[in-house]
Amino acid sequence: MTAAVCVAVAACCLGYVAAAVRLRARGDAWPLARPLAFCAGGALTVTGLTAPWNGLPLAPLRELPPFTGHMAAHLALGMAAPLLFVVARPVTLALRTLPLGPRRALLALVRSRPAALLLWPPFAALAHTVSLWVLYRTPTAAHLHHRSEAQLLVSLHLLLSGILFTLAVLAVEPMRHRAGTGLRAAALLAASATHGVLAKSLYATGPPGTSYAPADLRTGSQLMYYGGDIVGIALAVLLAHQWYASGGRALRRRARRHGAAGARATGSRVTGSRTAPGRITPSQAPALRPARD
Amino acid sequence: MTGHGRSRLGGAFAGVGLAAFVDEVVFHQLLHWHHFYDKASSEAGLVSDGIFHAFGWAAMVAGVFLFADLRRRGSLVKPAWWSGFCLGLGGFQLYDGTFQHKALELHQIRYDVDLTPYDWTWNSVAVLFLLVGVVLLVRTRRRR
Repeated sequence: MTAAVCVAVAACCLGYVAAAVRLRARGDAWPLARPLAFCAGGALTVTGLTAPWNGLPLAPLRELPPFTGHMAAHLALGMAAPLLFVVARPVTLALRTLPLGPRRALLALVRSRPAALLLWPPFAALAHTVSLWVLYRTPTAAHLHHRSEAQLLVSLHLLLSGILFTLAVLAVEPMRHRAGTGLRAAALLAASATHGVLAKSLYATGPPGTSYAPADLRTGSQLMYYGGDIVGIALAVLLAHQWYASGGRALRRRARRHGAAGARATGSRVTGSRTAPGRITPSQAPALRPARD
Repeated sequence: MTGHGRSRLGGAFAGVGLAAFVDEVVFHQLLHWHHFYDKASSEAGLVSDGIFHAFGWAAMVAGVFLFADLRRRGSLVKPAWWSGFCLGLGGFQLYDGTFQHKALELHQIRYDVDLTPYDWTWNSVAVLFLLVGVVLLVRTRRRR
């Protein structure tokens, strides 16, 4: 079962690379970082899925104690892989390379009402957070012990809810409705705070019904706390950069309008704005400075 | 919001972010004075810590990008930015030093030592930053 999922993940990576190659061959721009990110996400997913709960199959990590190993897999599946998948923009790539029929179906799917609800930042944050609390603060984790099929389902759920949350926060693919930066930042903040609280509480008390060694719990919970921080900061930087870049575009539009109006008044020819993204030339700056009250 | 208000807000984010950053890097990771978890930690303490830890690094990111935005718009008012910075830094440190360390007993500044000088230094530095922030705030207000 796990093998089938891993093959599917590998097939997705191959499909992505093939589509990116086709796109670039026909002359469209598609940064190389995106296929690299997607394949890294695929590799992390396979690693996280094939990891037995008591450690990763990679030789240097084999000695990880059970809870820490579980947490490493959880971080890879629920946070790192989703971030890598989402920044690779697979839906946008598919929409650009699929034949017309499937493309219409995919567009209808991502623009549908259920998709809009799932990608509403507060909902996605809640789904992601509640899953973690149910997993670690109810006897779920104890019941999952030695049931590989159920464990696989939980892993896939973590991966999917992570992708949903990351996509809701970054909103990089074409969607029905893109939530404002404030709402997305608030959802990210709330989810990160809850993640931190859960991680710290696991330091003292493990999931009910399990008996991990105290040292194992301490390492695992700190891995969850600081690992969550790293991915959270990465998301915050990407979100803030989106805000900064869109502000720069608005400023340039205003500068162009202003320049056009000024040129009409003086009768001189308008030249296109050739400033670097996000930068305003000194001659434009005084006009953009807000009036002091 | 005016250049003054935006500068003050950006400074406040940067101040909170820097206070949280120094707390985490210097006192948790380098000196190992602060402990990740204290047996006396209450539930309320954990919730407060989670919120302020997440808010701390989010403020750091927001502070950097707001500063860049103010610069490119040419609307950065430096004294207002510094007043916000001192208020944010002092406010966060005072909250951490009184409410989180003492009232919620999340963790102490250092273990196995007499805490009195540590607590007084910690909170005095916080109050000092707050005072500088207030003085700058009053001065920038008066000048307008």
